[in-house]
Amino acid sequence: MKQSIQGSRLVVKNVGKHFGDFCALRDINLEVEPGELVCFLGPSGCGKTTLLRIIAGLETQSSGSLYQGGDDISLKPPHARDFGIVFQSYALFPNMTVADNVAYGLRSVGAPKQQIQHRVCELLTTVGLPDQAKKYPTQLSGGQQQRVALARALAPSPGLLLLDEPLSALDAKVRNHLRAEIRHLQQQLGVTTIMVTHDQEEALAMADRVVVMNNGVIEQVGTPVEVYQQPASAFVAEFIGAMNFMDSAAVNDRSVQLGSRVLHLPKPLPRGKGAVRLAIRPEDVHLQPITGDGWEAQVNTLDYLGAFVRTQVTLRGCGLRLVVDVDPRSARELGLAQGAWVNVTLPSDSLHCFAA
Amino acid sequence: MNLSASTAASVPLSEKAQQLAQRWGYTLLLLLGCGVLTLLVLAPLYTLLSKSVKNKAGDFVGLENFAQYLGSGAVESALFNSLWVAGLSTVVVVLLAFMAAWALTRTRLPLTGLIRGILVVPILAPSLLSAISLVYLFGNQGVLKSWLFGAEIYGPIGVVLGSCFWTFPHALMILLTAMENADGRHYEAATSLKASPWRIFWTVTVPGARYGLVSAAFVVFTLVITDFGVPKVIGGQFDVLATDIYKQVVGQQRFEMGAVVSVLLLLPALLAFVADRYVQRKQTASFTAQSTPYKPRANKARDWFGALMLLPAVVFILAIIGMAIYASLVTFWPYNLEMSFRNYQFDLMDGGGWGAYINSVQMALGAMVFGTALVFFNAWLMERTPQPSGLKGLFHLLSLLPLAVPGLVLGLSYIFFFNDPNNPLNMIYGSLLILILCTVAHFYAVSHLTAITALKQLDREFEAVGESLKASRWRVLVTVTLPLCLPAILDVALYLFVNAMTTVSAVVFLYGHDSQLASVAVLNMDEAGDIAPAAAMAVLITITCAGAKLVQGLLRFWLDRSTRAWRQGKV
Repeated sequence: MKQSIQGSRLVVKNVGKHFGDFCALRDINLEVEPGELVCFLGPSGCGKTTLLRIIAGLETQSSGSLYQGGDDISLKPPHARDFGIVFQSYALFPNMTVADNVAYGLRSVGAPKQQIQHRVCELLTTVGLPDQAKKYPTQLSGGQQQRVALARALAPSPGLLLLDEPLSALDAKVRNHLRAEIRHLQQQLGVTTIMVTHDQEEALAMADRVVVMNNGVIEQVGTPVEVYQQPASAFVAEFIGAMNFMDSAAVNDRSVQLGSRVLHLPKPLPRGKGAVRLAIRPEDVHLQPITGDGWEAQVNTLDYLGAFVRTQVTLRGCGLRLVVDVDPRSARELGLAQGAWVNVTLPSDSLHCFAA
Repeated sequence: MNLSASTAASVPLSEKAQQLAQRWGYTLLLLLGCGVLTLLVLAPLYTLLSKSVKNKAGDFVGLENFAQYLGSGAVESALFNSLWVAGLSTVVVVLLAFMAAWALTRTRLPLTGLIRGILVVPILAPSLLSAISLVYLFGNQGVLKSWLFGAEIYGPIGVVLGSCFWTFPHALMILLTAMENADGRHYEAATSLKASPWRIFWTVTVPGARYGLVSAAFVVFTLVITDFGVPKVIGGQFDVLATDIYKQVVGQQRFEMGAVVSVLLLLPALLAFVADRYVQRKQTASFTAQSTPYKPRANKARDWFGALMLLPAVVFILAIIGMAIYASLVTFWPYNLEMSFRNYQFDLMDGGGWGAYINSVQMALGAMVFGTALVFFNAWLMERTPQPSGLKGLFHLLSLLPLAVPGLVLGLSYIFFFNDPNNPLNMIYGSLLILILCTVAHFYAVSHLTAITALKQLDREFEAVGESLKASRWRVLVTVTLPLCLPAILDVALYLFVNAMTTVSAVVFLYGHDSQLASVAVLNMDEAGDIAPAAAMAVLITITCAGAKLVQGLLRFWLDRSTRAWRQGKV
């Protein structure tokens, strides 16, 4: 057996899933390229785990079809599909040693003993646990158990690796470390990987592409940079990162009215007139020393969050409240303090505009 | 990517069939499980119910039998007697068990393991043992007869005392479970708010145990009102519902009337069952993952008080057991007090002799093996294979139903159902097999709950991981699920063995000439006046059960040792 795995291409076509009257997934279309790492990201109940379980064959879709590497797998039972899976709980078999856990899938297909031993050794080395083979899962730390689960899933060289919230049971430090490690391993092996997570930071840090889901539909598919910088919907904008929303009205297809001011937009509005929701990220709002002729705002609250200062300001005139992130040095230079006055600029190229 | 129409259309057909077969295979197996339970519980019960509204000739007569029975006058005293005896026993047992459970969970007394062991001994004995022991203690030639100040032990006093003995462990185990799960933070909060120990007891301990108290009360009440062994042996002329069924059926061969009394007996049992389920559901939420277990602090005075609280139960149980053993060894009470094994020569008495004992052991082993396998396989199907949720609910309900059916009622139902010449299963009537089936059905519910609890504790994704690793559910069952459930399997096996050895109520109607049982022999020898051999047989049953418990304990010990590495994370 060779170290690298030939990742397979996965296509999800018009997949829907109903539980009685409840619609868990609606018309899902998605293509995952060989060797790609895709994250399903969304709040709990958005359907991301259901979609993963349908891909694994653990749930049956109500409609639509699935193709893996050109084969129609829509109706195949899980054991006839080609994937490895890691659950949030790891689901390691507690009565077996680490080595027996990793060998489990190889023994299912009746691989020769020597080959199994070799493969187990190789995988445990790959995940950094070469000397833990004889231990039982309960004798390992959470992070180590996670790696064993990963090794077990990878042992039969699957074309597809499914990760169901694999890091959420770990504490923050281990999580950050393993995040990088899983990503490295995945790239090294070239296995097509789908990871379900509700942690946006995790998704942005690890994924080639992020699939943002909400209420059973895909809101946006894109690279981490795309979903952060060009959110396709107000939901995506709000779910990933922080966002200020402001109700305003379109003046024409390139400008909107906010309070008494007219703001120019970076992109033309899809629909000409009417109410729109204007949005800007806290770090994109510029604060300057008060000059007298700018857009004035008063500081309401100041929270020191280590790497930056999060402040809430109220705009004079329209009474709009904005959350603004400022780096600590600028905050000092501006003399930010509760009740202080500053000038606010909303740079036109940082503005987002969504339907009201 | 090439998705030609032909592959998309032709491949799924056979695969769909395969998948359907796979999914429906498990469903069919669970349907089969439902069928078995229907055969063993539901169908006999239905026959019984229908019998109660028919006359001797089999014509439908509506509620006439009930009217006749209720009008006979006998029922009023029997019903009234049953109610107050069960009520009084419940109060006494729950109070004693609460005192003992408090002492065991809220003090730091030494030897709690031994004390617990003594307190649950009654569960290993047939309920008749206490009645026989009481006769020796307080009967006409009893050693402590004077303690009763002229009152008779034959009657309500004997029934209440005897019932208290054998129902005590049931109440104790429920209360121990309820009180062991106390949240230490509540005690710390109360102490920091300067509450006195007395106030903490009433505001924290008692409310925390309230569901356990209610549950224990329901269980004890049902056990006493449906028990027939104790009142039969020591009740004298004191009629209760349970003995009335026996009289109607065995004494007067009036099966319809037996069915009528059974239905009346079913009502309180059903009510208790529903109430208990309701209470249990409420209790589960009280102890959460965030709770910290309560640990009593050193307090000499409280420990002594705890010992005092344990005293009545421990003395009572030791006295009853001790007296039974002593009586069984005395050559000829009260004239020749020399020790001998004369009373153990069962072949010289009526009641089936040693053959009955051998039958009992065979029956208990059969019920243990068949019952454990059936219970676990069905529980596994329900909990660990894909099943339609409706079927799961139905199966669960069927499994719990035996909890609401008193043994006497089940036994009588079996007569009606299996003794019907039109029933193809008629041939097993009177054999050891029907006794095994009836016993498994009788004790199915608790075994089922134990198995389900164990299976629910396993990671719910084991089967999914197995499938992704190309292992069938069967392989996961054998390599993972069964090894992990071994402790629970041992518990269920012991539970079935012990109950099969000691039960009287259901099997008393069902044994045949070649399938006499030890527990029934106790009853028959007592009835024939061979009270010392009856005591001997009861002691023998108890020793056998204790032996089984010992074997189970050793197996558990060995299992814990050999699996400690993966259970506790230590080498």
